[in-house]
Amino acid sequence: MSLIKSILSLALIVGFTMAFVSCNEDEDLLPVVATTINDLNADYAPYESPLPNDRPPLRIGATNKFTLFSFKTGAIVPNADSTSSNWDIGFRSTTIIVNSGTSGPGTTTAQILNGTLTTIIEAPFDGYKSDDKAGTTPAERNAIPAGSGNGWYTYTGSTNLVAPIAGKIIVVKTGDNRYAKLEILSYYEGAPASPSPEPAGADKDRYYTFRYVYQPNDTRIF
Amino acid sequence: MLIFAPVKIVTSLITCITSLLTLLSMPCFAQVSPVESDTLATRQLEALIVTATRNERTMGALPMPVSLISKNQIRTMGSLRLNDILTEQTGLVVVPQVNAQGNGIQIQGFNPDYTLILIDGEPIIGRYTGSLELSRIAVGNIKQIEIVKGPSSSLYGSDALAGVINIITDRPQGTRGNAAIRYGTNNTLDVNGDIGFTKKKLGVYLYGNRYHTDGYDLSPQNFGNTVSPFTNYTLNSKITYKFSPVTDLSVAGRFFNEDQVFRFEVESNGSRIRTAGNGNTQDWNFNPVLTHRFTDKLKAIARFYSTHYKTETYLDLETDGSRYYEDDFRQSFTRPELNAEYYFNEKNILTLGGGYINEQVQTSRYGDEEQRSQETSYAFFQHEWLPMEKLSVIAGGRYDYNTIYGGQFSPKLSSRFELNNKVTFKVSGGVGFKAPDFRQLYFNFNNSAAGGYSVLGTEVAIDRLAELDVAGQIQAYLFDPAQLGNLQAERSLSINAGATVEILPLLKMDLNVFHNSINNLIETQAVAITTSGQSIYSYRNILRAFTQGLESNFSYPITRHLNLSLGYQLLYAKDKDVSEDVKAGEVYWRDPNTLVTKRLKPNEYFGLYNRSRHMSNVKLFYNHQPTGWEGSLRVIYRGQYGIGDIRGNIQGEVIPPSDTNSNSILDVYDDFVPGYALVNLSVAKTIKHSFRFQLGVDNLFDYTEPVLIPNLPGRLYYASVSYSFSKKNVQP
Repeated sequence: MSLIKSILSLALIVGFTMAFVSCNEDEDLLPVVATTINDLNADYAPYESPLPNDRPPLRIGATNKFTLFSFKTGAIVPNADSTSSNWDIGFRSTTIIVNSGTSGPGTTTAQILNGTLTTIIEAPFDGYKSDDKAGTTPAERNAIPAGSGNGWYTYTGSTNLVAPIAGKIIVVKTGDNRYAKLEILSYYEGAPASPSPEPAGADKDRYYTFRYVYQPNDTRIF
Repeated sequence: MLIFAPVKIVTSLITCITSLLTLLSMPCFAQVSPVESDTLATRQLEALIVTATRNERTMGALPMPVSLISKNQIRTMGSLRLNDILTEQTGLVVVPQVNAQGNGIQIQGFNPDYTLILIDGEPIIGRYTGSLELSRIAVGNIKQIEIVKGPSSSLYGSDALAGVINIITDRPQGTRGNAAIRYGTNNTLDVNGDIGFTKKKLGVYLYGNRYHTDGYDLSPQNFGNTVSPFTNYTLNSKITYKFSPVTDLSVAGRFFNEDQVFRFEVESNGSRIRTAGNGNTQDWNFNPVLTHRFTDKLKAIARFYSTHYKTETYLDLETDGSRYYEDDFRQSFTRPELNAEYYFNEKNILTLGGGYINEQVQTSRYGDEEQRSQETSYAFFQHEWLPMEKLSVIAGGRYDYNTIYGGQFSPKLSSRFELNNKVTFKVSGGVGFKAPDFRQLYFNFNNSAAGGYSVLGTEVAIDRLAELDVAGQIQAYLFDPAQLGNLQAERSLSINAGATVEILPLLKMDLNVFHNSINNLIETQAVAITTSGQSIYSYRNILRAFTQGLESNFSYPITRHLNLSLGYQLLYAKDKDVSEDVKAGEVYWRDPNTLVTKRLKPNEYFGLYNRSRHMSNVKLFYNHQPTGWEGSLRVIYRGQYGIGDIRGNIQGEVIPPSDTNSNSILDVYDDFVPGYALVNLSVAKTIKHSFRFQLGVDNLFDYTEPVLIPNLPGRLYYASVSYSFSKKNVQP
C-alpha cells in the first residue's frame, strides 16, 4: 500500500512541477485574449422595392467597398486607408480579402484550417497565400476562397441563406509577421440562431460576427 | 435506318439463343416433368413468385429476400393506388420527389430512382424527375405484387439496385366480373369494373377505372392547394389465346390519362405571382407475349413491349392570362426480348435471354424539341443448381451494352440452405447499376420559375458553356468545364443475408441483414455563374454512399381467421466521404444559440437526408369467410429523419432544411422531422358471395405536418360497394 502511495505522491509532485514550469514559460509572453466583433457591416444595402420578376433584385445604395480591419488595433480602418498597410483583412458581402497582391499594398497572407479557436494553438509555419494567385475559378484567386463550400461559408439557394461552415478557422499572417486566428460566427445582424434573410425574411445580411485571437508577440503559439 | 438496326440485332440474338437451346435439347433423357408442375403438385398452397428468377418458383424456395402482397390483402386494406399499398410494407417508404410533391418509393435507403417498377415484367416509364409517380397505378386489376429486395440487374439491367417491384395483373380465368364504387374524403370518387371470360382457347379480360379527387390543402392560409384536383382514367386489357397445349399467346395493353388543374403562387425573386394552368399525363403500352414449350425440358418466351409516356404542363398569369411557364416531356421505350428455360434434370435449370431496348425522349427541357435516343443490347443467363434437397444455388449475370455509357456486367449469386424444418438460411450478393438518365445527359433547362438557374446535361454542357462564354454571359467558372463529360453508370455492390425461423409452431420470423455499397453516384455540380448572377449546374459522378441495416418480420395466426404481423427495419444510410471526414476529425458543428464550435464525433453523424433509422408496423388482419366479415387494423410507424435543401416549394412555403449547425450534414444536433405513426382501419362484409360493403378510415388520428410532409394528407374516410359474379366451371 505504502509503495503505491509513494508512487502516487511522486507522480503528483512531478505533475505539479511540470505545470509550474509551463506556466513560467507562458509568463514570458504578453497575454493573448479572444475578442468578439459583433455586426461588422460589410456593405449592407436594402433590396429594391418592389422586387422584379425577371431578374435578381438590386441592392440599393451599396458602396461596393470593403470594410477593413486591423488586428493590431482591433478596430475598423477607414476605407480611405485602403492603399496603406494599416489594415489586415477586409469584408464585402461574402468576399473576404487580405492586404496583399491584387487587394492591397501590404504583405498579409492567410489560409483556412479545420479546427476550432481552442484546438488550433499554433499557427502553421507555411501554407499562407496572398490575394494575387492566378486561377481559373474565383475559388483560386484569393487567399480565402470565394464561393459556396469553397472557403468559409455555404449558400443555400432555396432559403437564400449564407451559413459560416463550422470548424473553418482563418489563420492570418500580418505584414509585420504576427499571427491571428479568426472564426466567422454569423453573417446576419444580431447573429440570430435561425436567420431568415431578406428579402423574404427580416434578417439583414452582410453583418459579420466573428471571434479572433491576435498574438502580438513574435511567436506562432496562440 | 433506325428501324433496321434493332431488328438485325434482335434477329441475330434470337438465332443465337434458339440454336444454343436446340443444341441443349438434343440429348433427350427420360421424361422428367418440368419444375413448375412438380412444385405446383407438391406445394399447392404456397404462393408462386415470378420476379426473382423470371420463372415461377415457390416463394419459400427462393434464396433472396422476397415478399408478396396478395389481392385479398389489397382488398381488405381498401387501397386504391399503388402508393397506398407500398407505404404499409416493412422497409418501404413513400417519399416525395424533388419539389416535395409526388410519391416515389424508397427501399433499403435508396432513392426512388434506384428501384425498378414493372407491370407483368415490363418496366413502367415516365421517370420525369427521376422517380416514378406511384399513384399512376390503379390497384383494382392487381393479382399480386412481388417485391424482391437487393440488386436484380443480373436479370433486369439498369435501375434495379435497391430492388424490383413487379405488379402482376389479373389474367382471364373463367367467366367473372366485378363493379365497384368508392367515395371518400376530399370528394374522392373511384369507379372501377372488370370483366373476363374464357371460351375454349380464347380468354379476354378488361379493366377500367376512373379516379377523381379534389386534392387537399394543408396550408389554407396560402393560395392554391397542396395537391391540386385531378381526374384520371385507366384502361387495361389482356387477351390470351391457346394455339395448342404447348403454345400460348397473351396480348396486354394499357392506357392511362390524367388531367390536373393547377392554381399556384410561384415565387420569383422574392415576389409572388398567382398562376393557373393544367397538367396532362398519358401513358400507354402494348405487350404481346408468346410462350412455347418445345419439349418437356425446353420452354421459350418471346416478348415484345412498347410503351409511351407524355406529360405537358402550362401555367398562365392570373392577372393578364399570358403564358408564364410551359413544359413538355415525351418518352418511349421499345423492347423485344427472347428468353428460354431449359430443364436439364431436377438439379439443374438454365435460363438464357437477350434483347434490345430503344429509348427516346423529346422535351422542351433540352432547349430544342429534338428527339434524343439511346440503344441497349443485352444478354443474360441464370443457372439454378440444387445439389441436394436442402441446398440450392442460383448464379446469374447480365451484360448490357449501351450506345452512350458503354458496357456493364452485373453478376449475382444466391444460395439457400435448409438447416432443418424450422431454420432456413439465405444469402445473396450481386451488382446493380443505374444508367445516367436522359436528364443528366441532355438537360438544357433554365428554370425561370424558381429563381433562375440553369442545368446542363453532360453531353451538351461544354458546347453550351462555350456559346455563353463567346456571348460574354459567363461571369466566372466555378468548376473547370473540361473535366465534365463522360458520365458513367452508378454502381452498387450488395449483400443480403438472412434466415427464416419457425420460433413456435406457426410463429414465423424472417430476418435479413443488408449492406449496399454505392459508387459513382451522380450529383449536380455548380459550374459557372452568369453575368446576371444565375448559377449554371451540370452533373458529375462524385458521390459514394452506403446503406446497411436489418429487416425483420414476424407473422402469427392468433386464430384461423385472425393474423398478427410485425415488421421492423433498422437503417444506416451514409455518405462515405462524409463518414471518413468525420472519422478523421475534420467535421465540426456550431451551436446556433451559443455560437460555440465543437468537433463532431463519429457516432453523432446521422447520415443521409430523408432516411429514418427506425421503421415498424403492426398489422391485424381478420377474415371470416363463413359470415363474410373481414377487417384490418394497421399501425405504420416512421422514425425521425432529416430533410435537405429542397429546391422549389409548395404553396410558397419554404421548407426549412434540417441542418441548423453550419456543417451541411445531418448530425444528431440538427432539427429533425419528428417520427410519427399512422393508424388505418377497415371493415368489410360480403353478402351472398357477390355484394361487398366496406367502410374505412386512413390516418385515424389526422396526423399532418403541412410544411414538412406535404404528401401526407389528413384523415380520410371512405365507403365502398362492389358487386361481383363468377362462373368458375367454364374454366378450360
